[in-house]
Amino acid sequence: MTITSEIRGRRSSGRGPLRGKVTSLEVLCLLLVLALVLQDWLVGVLDAPQLRTAATVFVAVCVQAMPFLVFGVLISGAIAAFVPASALRRLLPKRTALAVPVAGLAGVALPGCECASVPVARRLMQQGVPPAVALSFLLAAPAVNPIVLVATAVAFRDAPMMVPARFVGSLLTAVVMGWLWTRFGKAEWIAERALRKFEEREGVSRWTVFTETARHDLVEAGGFLVLGGVFAAAFNVLVPTAWMETLGAQIVLGVIVMAFLAVILALCSEADAFVAVSMTALPLLPRLVFLVVGPAVDVKLFALQAGTFGKSFALRFAPATFVVAIASALAAGAVFL
Amino acid sequence: MRRETQNILLILLGGALLKLSFTDMYLRYVKAGLQPLLIAAGAIMILLAGLAIVRDLRATKEVEVHDDHGHGSSRSPWMLLLPVLAVFLIAPPALGADTVNRSDRNAAQESKSLNGFAALPEGAVIPLSLGEFVTRTAWDDSGSLDDRVVKLTGFVARKNDSTYVARLAISCCAADASPIKVRMTGGGGFDSMPTDQWVEVTGKVVPGSATKETAYVPTLTVAEIAPIATPVDTYES
Repeated sequence: MTITSEIRGRRSSGRGPLRGKVTSLEVLCLLLVLALVLQDWLVGVLDAPQLRTAATVFVAVCVQAMPFLVFGVLISGAIAAFVPASALRRLLPKRTALAVPVAGLAGVALPGCECASVPVARRLMQQGVPPAVALSFLLAAPAVNPIVLVATAVAFRDAPMMVPARFVGSLLTAVVMGWLWTRFGKAEWIAERALRKFEEREGVSRWTVFTETARHDLVEAGGFLVLGGVFAAAFNVLVPTAWMETLGAQIVLGVIVMAFLAVILALCSEADAFVAVSMTALPLLPRLVFLVVGPAVDVKLFALQAGTFGKSFALRFAPATFVVAIASALAAGAVFL
Repeated sequence: MRRETQNILLILLGGALLKLSFTDMYLRYVKAGLQPLLIAAGAIMILLAGLAIVRDLRATKEVEVHDDHGHGSSRSPWMLLLPVLAVFLIAPPALGADTVNRSDRNAAQESKSLNGFAALPEGAVIPLSLGEFVTRTAWDDSGSLDDRVVKLTGFVARKNDSTYVARLAISCCAADASPIKVRMTGGGGFDSMPTDQWVEVTGKVVPGSATKETAYVPTLTVAEIAPIATPVDTYES
């Protein structure tokens, strides 16, 4: 304790006096002690079946998403440390309108679910990629990569056309959102902190930039991912899923219900096809809407986006994506199904 | 939040992931295939935090490698404490009867396009997974299961005066669990079994009981039912 406080004392420039001030370190210790003391009480409180289910779903969502988030922040750190902004500029077409579909297709190369693509998109913006292009990548990557498409093909053995329909629907969502942002988007909606560059100082190695960027992104995005997990778990027990699934048998109502279900269930894009295929009471079109909306916008993703790009961004971007994704899914469905 | 606190939280979270993956506890939440990814993620978290701590310890006043963006303005990292506490203190159990009753999805229906079914093994009692049993009763028109004694493993679930032996199928994590269930009828004393009790049931299918009207939930005439210990991996895939 003395060693750390010494170091803290030396490093505390600009943080105000430490003496007599409670820092997060003390708060953390207090919380941990409290949690240990109250463990039995906590376990007792959580002993209702509903709460147990919610707790399990919460841990499951967090645990399942963490490896993908770690993968995402490593790529984000690597971009910050090893990819100069000029290289990205050379790689992408000059005109944003052309770069948007290119970025959408580039999503094929990031085999992960949606948690991985948020930190990567943010780092792309910070390296000078136009926001519209980075956002198009953000929306496309979780839905059009090979792992997700193979999972969809395996799940929908009966209806192989679901695979191209999903691919086109998701890509269309990403590209349309990119173009919409080019036309209407305002840079000030994105929080200033999201675009702030890691300060390059003399004597700081690339390795340090890489690990520090990854660590910083992990801490920030991880917190919001957990928040998203809380919402997903709450909705899982509070929303009468069975009732919603039967409602969906009518085609128009089905599309709307399934779109909302995709948002609140916050499934991993590698697993949602298996859930969709088991909803046999529904026609294919609402299930396609479920598969296209889910990776583009859900509660977990909304929390991540709000944390990464700021609330005023997420409040505009998520609803717009929701509408565009439904329209794109319907268009793709009309062609393929 | 202070940088030191963030590092401690990262180490705790990484430790939680490692604990889950080394103790089979992870099987309550995700599929077995995710184990190497969980170990890698936990190790990388601890490594990143460890590097930052080492860097801070070495840093002198002159060379301060890095300072937090936003100077403690962000409170979101506090959320990282929630999964840590949930894993170490509460360790939520695998999903059970409560989840089965939440959804009318039936995971076993997805296999209907499989062309034909392999012949059932010989023997007086055939052990089958719930998924295979339900799929066969729903889609195998040859009636190969009629008059055969099967042995099923699952937990007891109840809804609307019916008692089921049920299991959950997951394809990625517990959030996407879909129920598979078989209604029990006849004797054997399943009425006295508590909900969520794991059991081994032997019996015969009621031919033609898995139809569209019953949402393809077959009925099993129970001959024998015995409680068993909860298996390590409770989910079917």
